[in-house]
Amino acid sequence: MSFTFYTFLIIVALLLTVFVWSLRSTNRQTVPFSSSGVLHDFQASHVMHLPQIRRALAPTDYEFVSKKISPKALRQMRRERRQVALTYLSALRAEFDRLMRTARVMAALSPEVTTGQEMQRIFLTVSFLWRYRATRLILRAGFAPLPQLSDLSNVLSSFSVRLEEAMREMGERAAVVADVVSSPDRRRIHPV
Amino acid sequence: MSQALTFERVLWGVTFSLNAGLVVLLVSRKNHRVFPFFSLYALVNLLQGIVLFEIYRILVFGSQASILVAWGTQFVVTMTRALAVAELCHRTLAKYQGVWKFARLLLLVAAGIVAAAAWAFSRGNWRSAILSFDRGLELAMASAIVLLFVFARYYDVRLESAVRTLATGFFLYSGFRVLNNTLAEGLLTNSTGLWNLLGTLTFLASLLLWIWALRLTQQQTAAEPELLPEDHYRSLSPAINARLRSLNEQLSHFWYAEGKKT
Repeated sequence: MSFTFYTFLIIVALLLTVFVWSLRSTNRQTVPFSSSGVLHDFQASHVMHLPQIRRALAPTDYEFVSKKISPKALRQMRRERRQVALTYLSALRAEFDRLMRTARVMAALSPEVTTGQEMQRIFLTVSFLWRYRATRLILRAGFAPLPQLSDLSNVLSSFSVRLEEAMREMGERAAVVADVVSSPDRRRIHPV
Repeated sequence: MSQALTFERVLWGVTFSLNAGLVVLLVSRKNHRVFPFFSLYALVNLLQGIVLFEIYRILVFGSQASILVAWGTQFVVTMTRALAVAELCHRTLAKYQGVWKFARLLLLVAAGIVAAAAWAFSRGNWRSAILSFDRGLELAMASAIVLLFVFARYYDVRLESAVRTLATGFFLYSGFRVLNNTLAEGLLTNSTGLWNLLGTLTFLASLLLWIWALRLTQQQTAAEPELLPEDHYRSLSPAINARLRSLNEQLSHFWYAEGKKT
């Protein structure tokens, strides 16, 4: 039993792990055989609820309330604000997943895809999932004191305007595409 | 030792019969039209069994000539198996034109790199070089199958049940051959019997999987998806990526806000 043997044993074990993982998940929803239903999800977004989340995380709210209520109630408030942040994270994740599904289905149904775009998306997925898990873990462990959650509200404020603008733009584009896709003279390949 | 040899012979007989059964099944169910390269592989494998049986009957087992014939036929079998694996990839992904072009490139590059890396572990003598070459090909095939499954998962492409089972058989066989070859390379002189036995057992398991996969007649042409017009990907894909990037940025600022004060 040499170093080479163990090296190849590890390689085969890794391949087997990925193989089993990919086999397990083939029961998921698969690419639709019609393009008309691909883009309708594109216009919905959790980020539309950002104004409410911003209000819930506003630092001024906290400062005002901290002078008025007992420490116990303040602790309760902190917990609830943390919960809001976690819920927001989940919403980001859900939106990411929905966009990814749209992108993947669109790529699968496109006669031509760009390697750069696909590789970039894979990189973005890995990066997002890593950050998402790490942030969630830190929030769950309660390592984020309240001032940091207040910082979050500033972050959300600065991004929300840009995001909402981007979403509106994307929605308009998707509507145009959906319209073209559902028109009777679109290019299609008939089943053999 | 003689008991082990007898057991091995019985196993060899069983696998040969099953291989013949697989060829008959392929033809009787007309699946040879659906999987022509897989059928070619099954047939070549059967012929190799006949050739090896005759060679070992005529020549001394382990002689230079018998080794040359054995490895020569093995090379042909491995190449037809590689074609059969490529056929599975093509059948699964080719109907998704864009993804297939992308996947084909990645599969070829990955298989090439893996085969070259495995070859790099060669020890220098010619027997080791042959084993390393074989190991490289097997590892490339196993990697290609895994990549195919990952692609199918990533793009939510449906894998036909028969393709999934056939690929599982190929993966198991290739995976075990990689380990067997490595083991044989390390213990070259006294492990031939054990190596052959393990190889035969793995092949038996794969044969049973393939027979199970092809017990029914398969659809010759899978239904093709209705594709989107070409410009949709070009116009929407960068926009989606930009949106994904902004979500990512949002998360990283969240992370930064958390990390800054902890």
